[in-house]
Amino acid sequence: MGDVNRRAVKPLQVNPVGLTQPMGATLAFLGVDRCMPLMHGAQGCTSFAKVYFTRHFCEPIAIQTTAVTDVTAILDGGDHNIVESVRNIAVKTAPALIALYTTGLTETKGDDIRGVAAKIDYPLVWVNTPDYEGGLESGWALAVGALIEQLTVPANAIDGHKVVLLPHVSLQPLEVEKLKTFIAAFGFEVLAIPDLSTSLDGHLGEKQSALSSGGITVEEIRTLADAGLVISFGASMLPCARILQAKNPAIRHHHFSHVHGLEATDALAALLLAESGFEQPTVDIIRWRKRLQDALLDCHFALGQTRILVAGEPDFLGGACQLLAEAGAKVTGAIATVDSPLLDGLPVDRVLVGDLEDAESLHDAYDLIVGSGHVEALAHRYHKGVVLRGFPDWETLGNQLRNDVLYEGGAYFLFEVANVAERMRRDG
Amino acid sequence: MADKPKIRELLNESACAHSPAKKSACNAPTPGATTGGCAFEGAQITLFPYADAAHLVHGPLTCLGASWETRATKTSWRGRDLTQMGFTTATTNNDVIFGGEGKLAKAIDYIVARYAPRAVFVYATCVTALIGDDLDAVCKEAATRHGLPVVPVHAPGFVGSKNLGSRLGGEAVLRHLIGTLEPAETTPFDINLIGEYNVTGDMWQYSPLLEELGIRVLATLSGDGRVARIRTAHRAKLNVLVCAKSLVSLTRKLEERYGIPSISVSFYGRRDTSSGLRAIAGALGDAELTARTEALIEREEADLERRLAPYRELFRGKKAVLNTGGNKAWSIAAALQDLGIEVVATAVGKSTEADREKAREYLGPNRVLMTKPGQEQARIIDETGAHLLLAGGRSLYTALKKGIAFADVNQEKKKSYGGYRGLLNLAEDLKHALETPVFRNVARRAPWET
Repeated sequence: MGDVNRRAVKPLQVNPVGLTQPMGATLAFLGVDRCMPLMHGAQGCTSFAKVYFTRHFCEPIAIQTTAVTDVTAILDGGDHNIVESVRNIAVKTAPALIALYTTGLTETKGDDIRGVAAKIDYPLVWVNTPDYEGGLESGWALAVGALIEQLTVPANAIDGHKVVLLPHVSLQPLEVEKLKTFIAAFGFEVLAIPDLSTSLDGHLGEKQSALSSGGITVEEIRTLADAGLVISFGASMLPCARILQAKNPAIRHHHFSHVHGLEATDALAALLLAESGFEQPTVDIIRWRKRLQDALLDCHFALGQTRILVAGEPDFLGGACQLLAEAGAKVTGAIATVDSPLLDGLPVDRVLVGDLEDAESLHDAYDLIVGSGHVEALAHRYHKGVVLRGFPDWETLGNQLRNDVLYEGGAYFLFEVANVAERMRRDG
Repeated sequence: MADKPKIRELLNESACAHSPAKKSACNAPTPGATTGGCAFEGAQITLFPYADAAHLVHGPLTCLGASWETRATKTSWRGRDLTQMGFTTATTNNDVIFGGEGKLAKAIDYIVARYAPRAVFVYATCVTALIGDDLDAVCKEAATRHGLPVVPVHAPGFVGSKNLGSRLGGEAVLRHLIGTLEPAETTPFDINLIGEYNVTGDMWQYSPLLEELGIRVLATLSGDGRVARIRTAHRAKLNVLVCAKSLVSLTRKLEERYGIPSISVSFYGRRDTSSGLRAIAGALGDAELTARTEALIEREEADLERRLAPYRELFRGKKAVLNTGGNKAWSIAAALQDLGIEVVATAVGKSTEADREKAREYLGPNRVLMTKPGQEQARIIDETGAHLLLAGGRSLYTALKKGIAFADVNQEKKKSYGGYRGLLNLAEDLKHALETPVFRNVARRAPWET
């Protein structure tokens, strides 16, 4: 455990690594089947989000804007723009759900979206996500909380086989699928909310769609409260588990900060063995554990002599830093986008809530960077090895099929980082 | 606030071809049915290419956090490329309540001390415009404090579209930079390139030709631009507006204020590149220059023809449907025609009146200008037997279903299609699209499908 510096000392951010609440909410709503995310703000907020995620996933992104202008910003309390938007969307694309969420602009002007939402006769959830508070993780979590809070019907009975999975925002589509499959291998029926594994996993569909295609259905969200168990991943998702439990106090809750690496995956497997009464996991899970053990042995030499800086969302840092530390890598620095209780427990010499200018000023302290596409220029400038993870990654194809979690993903991740470290040493 | 540009005035641009015909502004977005960027993005596109200036976005993190490092505008500036850096005050709850001016002033000081930019552009955004931060005052004081231009850019996203933001960016340059410095020397053939952003090095496809002709690019707005050069732009003999009608207000004002005439050109495709060079030489009004230009055009066209020869056979008889927006509706169509591909339809739903006219001119009377391409393109492919669909990602399914080649024209482009040489890049990409086995392979049925 190292030094954690949370206080912003600069009057600005230089080369920001963070993102904002509306961006996180956008992504969460894209994990709901046939949903139209409707961002309440100026058209640019939506346009930026659309282009950003389109480039990251190489997929068309469904999203609309209430298109607030300088005139409506002053004269309208949000009613006109929102009602008009809902009407246009209902006619054009008839989504199963419209998800309404705010931006800094509409929060500053003080729109009462709860009041407007109450007057709308169309399936709709709403959530306040000002972009001058929180970040990507909290926006995602607030959206998930709103989905459960406003759609899930309270229940008393429990289906002991049903498990609700709450993934944090940094888990890529295939990682969510791997978690679902892992839990299902213990005999459970698993629902992830949101579920990007069937919407943004980059699958060729039947036809073009103006809505999200795939993801958890609205009906499945309505009936979540009879699950026997809810498992949350990432500190940011703790509040969502509480909201689900409020729908049915009989639901039991387990929390994991992350599922990267041997120790965390062992803990998840132990829990699922206890809950299922199984004596052993499936053959392939047992096999992958052995492969990860072997990967740790194969990689420790390369990684043990490599000093690494990791930049990204706190819940991602929790997992990636732990996995690297398990392999004996020296994680000398971590740059977090926002503050999180998780930062105190990171196995890292120095943790900063900051930006990539901070990462740049620490450049003597590491040989390799793990972070989003924005770290590439920095790595190039200072001749560092680079492994791209997190949002955005506009240069790499196949982001949606990345998997770093559980025994299997851990093995691949370690090999990738170790190979980059070795190549860097070979090439000087 | 007397210093702020008049948005109403900018919307009623008298130099716009369609101005008298239209009653309302060009940009009234429909809630729930709007695509496209905001005014802030337009200003960013127009000004960010100045790599020797810092670009500070005064607003919440989304505005810059989601947009920095998105545009591949190339520069030859030897210092640190500040275009590819992100500076933002990242407005917080506290700033919204107490105002962000103090923080903004400190942020400017921080940037000047650390990165020694040649100017600082400060961009207003919706939130900071709404809370009433006085950008002009903060910038003015900072300019005095540091002895360098600190330019307020009043293009918060909610005032309108990218197009308007681009105008507002031009307005900021006009008010605060142009005419503030005298050039060390002038030549009879000094021009400004306005609206050329050198995305993927487009400008460098033709700027060496200008140089060879003895035409000097005095300043650009803003591809491979320098602050010191744009400050001298009032001494140019000609403004050349490159594929950017949004900056027509700026060139009109430069004509009124400094008597600089302007022409509008495009450098996409062989014919447009040649006529662009001709137009520049013609406007500079020198017989020798005109002769030199004709000789150069002849040489370049012959050279291009030689290099295109290997593609001619493949493209012969090929028909394409083009579904994109704005000036691409005709500029890409012209380039396709230069390659010998017949353009049977182009989408003009998002184009201006002038763009539609040009599209009609290039396609001729019998070809289709699609206003609802989403619904029309499949039918047109059937009717014309088109071989190639050039469109955005969503149209991929149409191409797959029709079993024809597809090229994504809306994707952030990675190589230049500009000038004579750029046409070779386009030819290579289209050759690939027509020859790749991938569309055929993807359309295969799975063994379990009947």
